[in-house]
This record gives sequence, C-alpha cells and structure tokens, in this order.
Amino acid sequence: MIRLEKVTKRFNQGTPDETEVFSCFDFSVNSGEFVSVIGSNGSGKTTLLNLICGSLFPDSGKIYLNGADITPLPEYKRAKKISRVFQDPKAGTCPHMTILENMALADHKNKRFGLGICVNKKRTAFYRELLSVCGMGLENRMETPVGSLSGGQRQALALVIANMCESELLILDEHTAALDPKSSETIMGLTDRIVREKKITTLMVTHNLNHALRYGHRLVMFHEGQNVFDRSGEEKEKTSLDEILNIFNGISIEKGC
Amino acid sequence: MAAFLSTLEVVLEDGFVYAILAMGYYLSYKILDFPDLSVEGTVLSGGVIFSLLVSRQVNPWLAMLAALVFGGFAGSITGILHVKLKIRPLLCGILVSTALISINLVMAVAGQGGDISGEGLSTVSIGRDAPTILRSFPFDLIPYQAGGVNLRKLVGFLLVAVVVKVLIDLYLKTKSGMLLRATGDNEKFVCMLAKDPGNSKILGLAIGNAAAALAGSLIAQSRGNANQSMGLGMVIIGLASLIIGISVLGKIRFLKPTTMVIAGAVIYQACLGVAALLGVPSAYNKLIMAALFTAALVASGRFGNRKGALV
Repeated sequence: MIRLEKVTKRFNQGTPDETEVFSCFDFSVNSGEFVSVIGSNGSGKTTLLNLICGSLFPDSGKIYLNGADITPLPEYKRAKKISRVFQDPKAGTCPHMTILENMALADHKNKRFGLGICVNKKRTAFYRELLSVCGMGLENRMETPVGSLSGGQRQALALVIANMCESELLILDEHTAALDPKSSETIMGLTDRIVREKKITTLMVTHNLNHALRYGHRLVMFHEGQNVFDRSGEEKEKTSLDEILNIFNGISIEKGC
Repeated sequence: MAAFLSTLEVVLEDGFVYAILAMGYYLSYKILDFPDLSVEGTVLSGGVIFSLLVSRQVNPWLAMLAALVFGGFAGSITGILHVKLKIRPLLCGILVSTALISINLVMAVAGQGGDISGEGLSTVSIGRDAPTILRSFPFDLIPYQAGGVNLRKLVGFLLVAVVVKVLIDLYLKTKSGMLLRATGDNEKFVCMLAKDPGNSKILGLAIGNAAAALAGSLIAQSRGNANQSMGLGMVIIGLASLIIGISVLGKIRFLKPTTMVIAGAVIYQACLGVAALLGVPSAYNKLIMAALFTAALVASGRFGNRKGALV
C-alpha cells in the first residue's frame, strides 16, 4: 500500500507566485485497490503522482510504500517498485527502437544491464502473447520502430511494457487524455484487464468522469489540495455521473471560474 | 599520377584513423545527443601518452591500451561534470579540454625529463627504434611496401578501425549498449527501468573519449610524433565525418551506422585531399574543414535541427 503522511508541497517558494498545493496532506491507497482520482486543474492530482514517483520531493512529510519509507529515494530507485504510464504516449517507449527492442529492455528491468546480448529471440513468443491482448496487431510488427506507431498503439505498448515486470504500484497519469475517444476506450479496457489479472495496487488520475466511475474500486476528488470526495465499494457503485458533476461544478463555481 | 596515388594513400590512412574518432562521436553525439568538445584534448592525450610510453620501449599495444584508458577517464569526467554538477554539455567539454591543455603539456615536458617551469620539449617524438603497432606482431607480417604504397600502414590502420567498428556494433547489442541507446532516445524510459540515465551518459562519454584517445595514438604513430597542436580541429573532423557518413549513406538500409561513419571519415579526408591536389595551401585546411562541416550540417537538416546540435 502507499501512504502519504503530513505531506506539504509548495511551488515557487519565496516568490510572489508561491503556491501551496498540499499542506499536511494525508492520503493512502490499500493493497490491491484501484483508485481513480479526479479534480480540476491545479487541484494537486498530478503533483500527488509526481510526489509518489519521485519526480518531485515534498517540503515536509513522509511517503511510505508497503511500509518502507521512500521519501528520500530518487525517481529511478522508486521505479524498481513503481511502474508508470504517462499522459504523453511518447514518454513510455523509445521511438527509435523497435517494439522488440523496447520490450527486451523492459524485460531486463531490475536486473543488471551488463554485456550480455539484450534481445533474446526465445522470448519473442512471450512478447507477442502479451501484445496480442491489445488486439491492435502489434504482435505482427515486432521489428517496427515505435516512433512510427500511432498514439493509441504507443500507449498500449507503454501499458504492456509498464506491466511486464512485477511492481507494487501502478501509476496511470491521465494515460488516455491524449488519445481519440475510440483508442481511449480500448486503452481503458486493456488497463482494467491488466489490473484485474495482476491484482496490482493502482492509482489513476483522469479527467474522464465516466472512466472514473466505471473503473476501479474507489473514487476520489481533489480540490485545492484537499480530498473532498472519497467513496469506495458499494457506495461508489451507487454514485451517479450527475452527482459527481454537481459536486464538480459546485466546486468550480465556488472558485468563481 | 604519382601525386594522385600518394594523396589517395594519405586520404585512406587519415580516413581510417579519424573514423575511430568519429565512431566515438557516433556514441556521444548521435546516440546520446551530447555535443562533446572534450575530444579536442583527449586526442592529444592519447598521442602524448602513447609516444611517451613507446619511447621507453613499452609494448605498443599496452601503450595504446593506456591511451585508451586515459581517454575513457577524461571522458567520464566530462560526464560527471554534466550529470552530477548539472553543467551544460558544451561547457563540460570546454572545461575538460581546457584542463587537458595543461595536463598534456605537463605530461609531454615532464615525461621527457624536462623542467615544467623552465625549458622542456613539448613535442614527443617516436624514435626510429621505438616500437609502434606497425613494427610489432601481427602487423609486421604485412609487407611494408607494395607497388610504391605503404601497404602495412594502410592495412594496419584499416584493421584497427574495423576492430573498433565491430566492437562498437557488438556493444550496442548488449544490455548496457541498448540502455545507452535508450538513454539518448528517452531518458524517462530508462528511469522507469529503474536505471540512472546519468550513469549511461557517463559511460557513453567515456567510450567516446577512449575512442578519441585511441585515434590520437594512431595519429602520433602516423606522424612519428605528438605535438601540442595535434588536438586542434578534432571536434570538427569527428563531427563532420559522422554527419557526412550518415547523411550521404543513411538511406542504404543494410549498412550499419558505424560503416557509414568510416566511409564518412574517408569522404571528408578525400575532400581535403582534392583541395591539396588542386594546389590549395594547407594553411587553408581548417577553413575548408569548417566550410565542409557547414555544408554537411545544412545537407542533413534533420541533424542540424537536433536539440543539442552545435549551433
């Protein structure tokens, strides 16, 4: 499980633009839970993910992953236990390398990158099997440079790659936001399938209220660094889109925008 | 005809030697996207270290290895300045190559028993009795001359370039090499593989400068000495060879980039050779180099626009 304890994060400290995103903020996600986070711009959703992944460090407070204090660890060290899919489909893969090469690299995650040959042809069948789940025909294009794939295809590949190795937490950072509606549905379906199969603890930030309602065990809404809405299980199942929209709009109007 | 043949000979010899430098640049500039200026110093370091060692009758292969190791060390300093101290790539190269000006001079003078604060010889000559790789096994099996051409030098340098090419090609297939490619392609991806992209960069720059120092040791063997101006223009030669090779031959799919780079280095030297044949004084060489490099950059717009390009 992931736990944030009394986390404070400010930006532009000491300038007139100083903003405090979180102030003594507590938040936790239980093991095996799939949490969707929604909220308007500037509510702290992405900052939360960046704090967890180590792209940003808190000004004070602690972050624990399965009981271990990961607060001082740099991003690449946390990546041993955390996998992440970004909003930008380009972020999760190497464009000038083939699908096979990308997957071969990911296959060696958490191992030593020594002088052994990287691409093991014997593993190709396994990679194909993983890709066939996406239903995009990627399994027949193993030698294609990833840069020539469409955004949806690249994001599907990024999702598969992020889940190739066992990890303790999956972070989805608006991972369908840059895709067209159809690809976005495909990727969400694929996400749901992977999360169910692996039973991996998942934290998903999204602007798509429908996705937030339909997928996951728990729904959280952030507003100005506060957790203003938090429902899980049956309570969450009963929540309607209108109800969420009302709260969401209420917050925005209150803010005067 | 004789002038043409001897020019061709020089073009090929120099082409093979500078191909090694350019293949190093293939790793640092093309793969890691790091415009590395430190080779301006490491080429000379390689030459000085090699010449000093063989003058003391050290085995020339060991001397070349020593040059290579020093180049790798200097390159890793460039990498550490960038990765750990967050200094911009161009400045890192300038800092290291500037520091190397002193280090190379001190090595050359002190290495020959001179007084650093007083008189001393800054050029290190390779005497006739000193061992070079061309005077050692296995190159001594090649006939020294054939048909008026210095066959041994030509074949010897070609073989060294080919060995370096094969090693780099092999390396790029290893996990470490693939991680290097990934680092240049997408640092975030490397981060997600739980690896520090900074370490890859340091390693890549070390290899690039090791190649530069190796090239320096061959230049010294070719000229018979290492003098303090040897490093001048190395950045341009390396980059221009790389860019010419890849922009001229880039369309040919079955060619490995390293092969293109060797061809590029020869083409580049050929341009200088043509200028010499046309009677252009060698004083204009650096001007021609800069002009050729500009032309190569413009010809390969894709390269010219790359972030971190030398503009």
